[in-house]
Amino acid sequence: MSEPIIEEHVPMVEYRHVHKHYGSLHVLNDINLTVEPGEVIVVIGPSGSGKSTLIRTANRLETIDAGEILIEGLPLPEEGKQLARVRAEVGMVFQSFNLFAHKTVLDNVIMGPVSVLGVNKKEAEEEAAALLRRVGVEEQAHKVPAQLSGGQQQRVAIARSLAMHPKVMLFDEPTSALDPEMINEVLDVMVELARGGMTMVVVTHEMNFAKRVSNRVLFMADGQIIEEGTPEQFFDNPQTDRARDFLESIKTH
Amino acid sequence: MSASAGISMRDALYEQPGPKMRRRIRIGTAIALVLVAIFVLGIIRQFYVTGQLDAKYWAFFLQPTTWTYLANGFWGTVKVSVVAGAISLALGLVFMLGRTSSFAWLRGLSRAFIDFFRGVPSLLLIYFFFLVIPQYGIKMSSFWMITLPVALSASGVLAEVFRAGVNAVPKGQTEAAISIGLSKMQTMFKIVLPQAIRFVIPTLISQLVIVVKDTTLAYVVSYPDMLQNARVLITNYDALVSTYFVVAIIYILLNYLINQASIAVSRRTGVKILRPA
Ligand SMILES: Nc1ncnc2c1ncn2[C@@H]1O[C@H](COP(=O)(O)OP(=O)(O)OP(=O)(O)O)[C@@H](O)[C@H]1O
Ligand SMILES: [Mg+2]
Repeated sequence: MSEPIIEEHVPMVEYRHVHKHYGSLHVLNDINLTVEPGEVIVVIGPSGSGKSTLIRTANRLETIDAGEILIEGLPLPEEGKQLARVRAEVGMVFQSFNLFAHKTVLDNVIMGPVSVLGVNKKEAEEEAAALLRRVGVEEQAHKVPAQLSGGQQQRVAIARSLAMHPKVMLFDEPTSALDPEMINEVLDVMVELARGGMTMVVVTHEMNFAKRVSNRVLFMADGQIIEEGTPEQFFDNPQTDRARDFLESIKTH
Repeated sequence: MSASAGISMRDALYEQPGPKMRRRIRIGTAIALVLVAIFVLGIIRQFYVTGQLDAKYWAFFLQPTTWTYLANGFWGTVKVSVVAGAISLALGLVFMLGRTSSFAWLRGLSRAFIDFFRGVPSLLLIYFFFLVIPQYGIKMSSFWMITLPVALSASGVLAEVFRAGVNAVPKGQTEAAISIGLSKMQTMFKIVLPQAIRFVIPTLISQLVIVVKDTTLAYVVSYPDMLQNARVLITNYDALVSTYFVVAIIYILLNYLINQASIAVSRRTGVKILRPA
């Protein structure tokens, strides 16, 4: 924050020529991406194309080999307190929920505010209760995660992220570990978030979600973003053969 | 690996036995009991034949002084076991934290400690504390000369037990923790370690059995533990077999109790983790 960039326009997240390898596998190949504040981006693509890796680099759960990632115009710190601070502002929701198994639902949600932001416990609990109400699981507050259904757990995970007042939220296939009847209860929460102006990057194959709230769809294959457009453009009129083939393959499912 | 996994595994592997199976279990149990009875009778007969059942070998067990003496020894065993157990838990935790730290030198050092104390026989460590350390002018009571080596020797094993517990905590737990901005230390102490310890509590308790057994080396430093006091009784009454017999039963009971405790804890924590809504 050295220069006064106050009224100037700054993207929420920016990838500049980002590369990453796993051994000889080029899992991110020259990624350039700008996520504007309030934007909802859906990332779609075949298994192994690098979608998870892409969003996990944004809070440095994965490191990158070359290029640059900026959060609100500042390079992502490499370690220590600065990195932790950025991570606190970038929410992450996992496919497998990853709720803290030994903590109650309520304690899961207040963990970040109390331990990272230094909010006092009582206040944190009040806000957590409000968040749990918002995602519709207030009655489960004193249970441990194992006692909840998958859909409930994922909604708690979203509440846990929200408790940190994130500037942007990353979702890695948030509904693909869920039984079909629970998918919508999670998507509804995400739609509400999107409509409330949250900046979101969502890896998902839920076309309806993409069509309802996303501004842009990115199609990834072999570590590259090979097509990009509005949901209408992308789903109704894909430009590349890879995208067409892929859309065919998920339709027949 | 974990207590909860153990319980669910048992539920998964063994369905409720049907009527046929129950009959077979009853027959098997009966045969086993008969065999055990024959074995015990055989031992008693052997005792009788060799004259070990003569009153002179057993009469002193009717004197209260014999039991106060053994009880004093038992108390010595308990003291060494508890203190050595506590120290080894703390050290084991420290070694494990060192071994999983992000500093290579600390990892190497901790690993060397762990491997050393795991590999060296307790008896050698005791000799070291008994014979070598005093030469450097360090005065130590016999209590510490037995307690410290037993603790050190157990700490290497416990470090590995803790590490197994830490490894059993799913990676997603750590990822979720650092994603909300917890530091490495907070992640370890608030998220990973509490779950890891829950996984290994039954194992930790059963490791106490090894500590108890190691305390019987107290005779080397002449610390009056139960076995050491038993030896004195043996010399006084010239009653080797009977004394060892009684003392062995006490040790077996003690270790049985410890094992039962670990099973009880594993059941309880297992139920606690798995209790359905
Ligand atoms: N830690 C790792 N070590 C080596 N290879 C990895 C690692 N993580 C991922 N990969 C590989 O990198 C590639 C991209 O993985 P990534 O998880 O980003 O794909 P994805 O698009 O999210 O796929 P999916 O739809 O299956 O989740 C895959 O081929 C995967 O096998
Ligand atoms: Mg993935």
